Amino acid sequence: MVNCDQAKEYMAVSWRESRNDGALTEHLAGCAECFAEHSTLGVIWARLGDIPVPEPSLAMNRRFQSALTALSSEAAPAVEQHWRWADLWPRNPVWQTGIAAACLVLGLAAGANWPHQDKEIAVLRDEVASTRELVALSLLRQESATGRLQGVEYSGRMKTMEPEVVNALVQAIERDSSVNVRLAAIDALGRVSRSEGVVRALTGSLGNQESPMVQVALIDYFADAHDRAAAGAIRQLSQRADVNPAVVERSRVALRELSQ
Amino acid sequence: MTTAATGAGYDPQIDHQLMILVARGNLKAMSEIYEHRHRSLFRFFFRLTGRQGASEDLVHEVFLRMIRYRHTYEGASGFEAWMYRIARNALTDSAKRHRLESPADEGQMEQVASGRPTQLESMMKEQELALLHKAMRALPEDKRELLVLSRFQGLSYEEIGRIVGCETGTVKVRVFRAVKAMGQIFCQLRAGQLHEEKTW
Ligand SMILES: [Zn+2]
Repeated sequence: MVNCDQAKEYMAVSWRESRNDGALTEHLAGCAECFAEHSTLGVIWARLGDIPVPEPSLAMNRRFQSALTALSSEAAPAVEQHWRWADLWPRNPVWQTGIAAACLVLGLAAGANWPHQDKEIAVLRDEVASTRELVALSLLRQESATGRLQGVEYSGRMKTMEPEVVNALVQAIERDSSVNVRLAAIDALGRVSRSEGVVRALTGSLGNQESPMVQVALIDYFADAHDRAAAGAIRQLSQRADVNPAVVERSRVALRELSQ
Repeated sequence: MTTAATGAGYDPQIDHQLMILVARGNLKAMSEIYEHRHRSLFRFFFRLTGRQGASEDLVHEVFLRMIRYRHTYEGASGFEAWMYRIARNALTDSAKRHRLESPADEGQMEQVASGRPTQLESMMKEQELALLHKAMRALPEDKRELLVLSRFQGLSYEEIGRIVGCETGTVKVRVFRAVKAMGQIFCQLRAGQLHEEKTW
């Protein structure tokens, strides 16, 4: 049986998880004080969720993206520089003031030119898309299978997949050391791309797959893609002496579907 | 459990992997982390400061600090704990500079709440919300922080313990005390309001 102090810890958990532990229920049944506290404070906990919070402004996002762009170019491997921007800054204070004033005027003019924002946002969007691709590719090249698995999962969330990402997934199916990564990659590709080129590449890899699970996943992929070009590879695999009976069975179904 | 924090169902492990990429010099990966995290960080700061502009500045600061300190990222205690530790430091530094500890104005809360239907019932609800908001602002800073972390940021008590540097059991007790203090302040404020209405 828990005491009142312990009951307080249980209460903190019960508000979060919206359910009472058996030990807490038992204590509350015998302790009027804790019972009252638990229910009134539970209401406060719930009502906190009603306090509204605004959305951050778009300006915040723009500010961060431009800072990131500036930092990225700074962090990029330095190209041999023979001169520095600072060298362009005049030594004469009169010129310094003049340039500063010109910059201010230009800055104001740029600020007044509002429609430019749309263009800016479009460029930003493109940049984010290419960043996603870059991130997906980097994740797919991780050393750990867990990391690569996350890369596959991440790629699978893309609405449209760049050819580089499709290639990386095809390569993962062909030669990743982890069966789980291969399976996840087949699943991710199945959701996005069943193009002829991809089917052809995967048809070539079917015969090299050792894992019956991967074999079945690929056969399902071909059946869903309805590409008859894959029929030959499926038939070849199912006729192999060492192949798993479940794979043979699945091949038979897929071949029937493909011939229809 | 932590997926609630991001609001988009993102696996915190993905941000961990992305942060490893950033630590290795791929700063572009930070753009993705930003996508996943900027809203929940903004809400965290807004709930603590009650100020939109200051919260946006703090979000910006946290991401810049994550880039600046990227080499120190090990991820042993998870990405979230690391990020929130940076967020807390940024807030403390900013409070030192701007004396944010003084109660923030409530104008922003009213701005957020306005634009709702103005029937009597919703007016009363708004009044209650304004009181809750006031009570939140009146709460001592450490209690408010614990309440925000546990109630809104989708963090487990274990994770909060790693962020604030104490045992899970202690976190639970402190969360209980924070809710209790919140309840007491709220009741006092409401009693004061009822008293005002009667005398009026
Ligand atoms: Zn009790």
